[in-house]
Amino acid sequence: MKLIKSIVRPNKVDEVRDALEKLGIGGVTVTEVRGHGKQKGHTAVYRGKEYNVNLLPKMELEVVVEDNMADEAIKAIIQAARTGEIGDGRVFVLPVLQSYRIRTGELAI
Amino acid sequence: MTGPAVPVSARALEAARAELAEATGRGLGGRGALGRYAARLDALLRQLFDQAPPPAQPVAAIALGGYGRRQLCLFSDIDLLILFEGSIGPIDERFLHGFLNPLWDLGMTVGHQVRELSDFSTLEADNPEFLLALLDARPVAGDRALLDRFTVMFHQPATHAHIIESLVALIDARHARFNDTLYQLEPDIKEAPGALRDLTAARTIAALTDPALLTRGPVDAARLEEAEDYLLRIRSILHLKSGRNQNVLTHELQETAADQLGYPGAQPQQRVERLMSDYFRHARTANRSLQWVRAAAPMPVGPNLGRFSRGVRFIDPIKAARQPETWLSLFEAAIVHGCEVLEDALSVVRQNVSRFAAEDFFPSEESRDELMRFLRPRAGLYARLSEMHDCGLLGQMFPEFQAISWRVIRDFYHKYTVDEHTLLTIRNLERLSSACPPGRERFGSLVQELQQPELLVLSLLFHDVGKWKDEDHAIESMRMADHMMTRLDMPEESRELVDFLIKNHLQMSRVAFHRDTEDPEIVKRFADLVGIEERLKLLCLMTVADIEAVSPDTLTPWKEELLWRLYVDTYNHLTHAYADELIDRRQAGLSDLVTGRPDDIPEGELTVFLEGLPRRYLQLADAPAIYEHVRLSRDIARDDVHIKLERKDAAWELTVVTLDKPFLFSNICGVLSSFGMDILRGHAMTTPKGLVLDIVEFVDQERYLELNPNDARDRFSEVLHEVLSGKIDVTERLRRREQGMLRRETSRVSPVLYFDNQSSRRYTILEINAGDALGLLYRISRLISRHGCDVDLVLISTEGKKAIDVFHITKSGAKLAEPAQQALRADLERMLGGIDEVDQEYRPAEQG
Repeated sequence: MKLIKSIVRPNKVDEVRDALEKLGIGGVTVTEVRGHGKQKGHTAVYRGKEYNVNLLPKMELEVVVEDNMADEAIKAIIQAARTGEIGDGRVFVLPVLQSYRIRTGELAI
Repeated sequence: MTGPAVPVSARALEAARAELAEATGRGLGGRGALGRYAARLDALLRQLFDQAPPPAQPVAAIALGGYGRRQLCLFSDIDLLILFEGSIGPIDERFLHGFLNPLWDLGMTVGHQVRELSDFSTLEADNPEFLLALLDARPVAGDRALLDRFTVMFHQPATHAHIIESLVALIDARHARFNDTLYQLEPDIKEAPGALRDLTAARTIAALTDPALLTRGPVDAARLEEAEDYLLRIRSILHLKSGRNQNVLTHELQETAADQLGYPGAQPQQRVERLMSDYFRHARTANRSLQWVRAAAPMPVGPNLGRFSRGVRFIDPIKAARQPETWLSLFEAAIVHGCEVLEDALSVVRQNVSRFAAEDFFPSEESRDELMRFLRPRAGLYARLSEMHDCGLLGQMFPEFQAISWRVIRDFYHKYTVDEHTLLTIRNLERLSSACPPGRERFGSLVQELQQPELLVLSLLFHDVGKWKDEDHAIESMRMADHMMTRLDMPEESRELVDFLIKNHLQMSRVAFHRDTEDPEIVKRFADLVGIEERLKLLCLMTVADIEAVSPDTLTPWKEELLWRLYVDTYNHLTHAYADELIDRRQAGLSDLVTGRPDDIPEGELTVFLEGLPRRYLQLADAPAIYEHVRLSRDIARDDVHIKLERKDAAWELTVVTLDKPFLFSNICGVLSSFGMDILRGHAMTTPKGLVLDIVEFVDQERYLELNPNDARDRFSEVLHEVLSGKIDVTERLRRREQGMLRRETSRVSPVLYFDNQSSRRYTILEINAGDALGLLYRISRLISRHGCDVDLVLISTEGKKAIDVFHITKSGAKLAEPAQQALRADLERMLGGIDEVDQEYRPAEQG
């Protein structure tokens, strides 16, 4: 199993979720996050004063998929979240050793 | 001067004094004898009043203080108010001399105050003794109706509260002079603790707060009157025996007083002991009464409203139960005084509220204005609105709100019933305005900048009322709010704003959280929706308050950041990019203007006028104002200046239509400053064809326009014409004004200058934030013009003590290159930093 962690633009969350759903991936965890990558924030001007906005609001989506679905899921996420501009985000893929269902305590595949 | 009446008057005065002296001699110079003496003096004064040369207008002689209370002793000062209806002229002066001189000739000590009725429109807060004396005002001679009019003007809750506050301070200071004890061996019968002044003070406080207070106190009315009579009898003896206004009961005079009052005892010491024993008993009575009323009296905080130690309540609940239009002031008083509404007052509302309809709470324009004042966001508003809701008042005042009372909507987000969610939105706004949570100061500062924050509260109160239906609640809420606004007869402008906010209350979060706000087109569309900065601020605050009221965790720093970014990008678009968006024939909303135009404005004239003005103009001016501007622009020729000056609430609005020329904007600002006008906000617009439309709102600091209703407007217009047509130099006018007025104030706001060559296709944008000062805009714009720049568009706003001005400028028809920007920046910084001397500022302009 793989944990796919994507950092995307806030307005792209719905599109990414729709794309994953089309692949039959229903379970997703969405978190509001702030950070910066290459974009490293930007300078905003308000009433003549410049402000550095270092941490930009992004959304983090986490899904766990079977190994054989990972590539397709990653592709779908990238396609849905891409605008072509700096700041589109990142996708991280991590191995999942085990997964348990809390309600029953059983090992979930 | 005295005339033949004096001997008669003298005899009358002599007879009155003899009668009082005789009664005093028998130990009976108390309330009855003093009342008779006052009546005789009244007659004497009436006679002299009638014999004086007639005044040119209604006038009244009014007894004040002790004379007003009919407690004048032989050598007491006679306090009089001579009250004229209007301005006092020479004929009235003659009357005054004719009336007062004979009194002085008779040797009377007259303490007179001469006033015009209008003097009482403001409170003489620094003269508490006079205010106290006015409470005993009693007509003696002349026009009695004047006293009635004075009474209406003078007896206001705020005045009463001020008098009580002053009186308590005077009592404390007076008691301190006697070491705070009434057991004086030689007491001052007027001033000492427990003496006559305390007795009067107890009655005054009760009369101004709760007249029934003394009957509930530890001393009954008869004992208080007995004490007063006793003290007055002694005072009369002191005056008679000392032959002057002497009020100290010395050891020597104690023996005399004891004899005159008929105390038994073989030795003088025995008689004196009995006298002093009675004195202390009566003094204690007076002192206890005063202590009681001071502890129990409510502070008057509104008609029939008192502030007690724990909160506010109705003084007369039975009367209050019949007057629903006064109930809002109960809650307003609690907010103003930072206290609660007491349970018994809430009960009055709760038990009677269902007897009244929504209209009964706001029957007049004043009551509707009071509602708007009440709705200003400030500490305590949520708590009071919640109380109003709990006791059924909010739902009765606004039946639309009743529709969402305890309304449950099940979703994943909302934690509260719809009514509580609504009230919490108001609490959130209240917190932003008064106790801003850390990290939200940027939103808090927006609340301070709102022109009509009460309309935001009203919009919040109604934004979800449509949730009683399961359809699109924003549209239903708007429909219901319209009912309320019709009922309250709200102005069209306010109605439009409330409608806009309710209809769009979800739009900003939709755009901020679900759209790509880095796309300028998205920002532009959102800017088109809000139109002007004020609406943007309102919608932003509404969104923040609404999200936070969903649940304690809904408004995350993440959401705040997205909202703030959208706010800033939209604000910048509205203030920096509007110059590129001009009105054209296909403009939305133009057809309504054309269709609804009055008969005197042909379609062609309207469209020619509008073409080339920024689109934001259509958001700033409503249809009647636009038609008026068209008329002002009619037949305009070089050097013509068409202006309109009108009152706008507490401020004034000046509209100038003319053709562009160098220094135009700075000259307009200069003329306003030369009249002492403080510019609040405004817009200066220039079309590509050179037509200038400037709309400036200002405060008439010196009340020049108000105090000279007949010719001020003409004079103002005349000067403006002369300056703009180059006949006179505004710098000369400014120089003539007191230098101190124009000298820049040392401001705590550090000036910020920002040049932007990116946001507009045609213009360099210069944004200046600086501490506001009279003449600031004049100095800035003049300096810009001196640098050879054309000022085409200006947005002027003042927020508190800060001036925020955005200029759209060009030089020789192009944007300013970097060296030109630097040169202008350097000079502006020198000026705003106060490095230039004032005189240099006002040296004659090198006008081209």
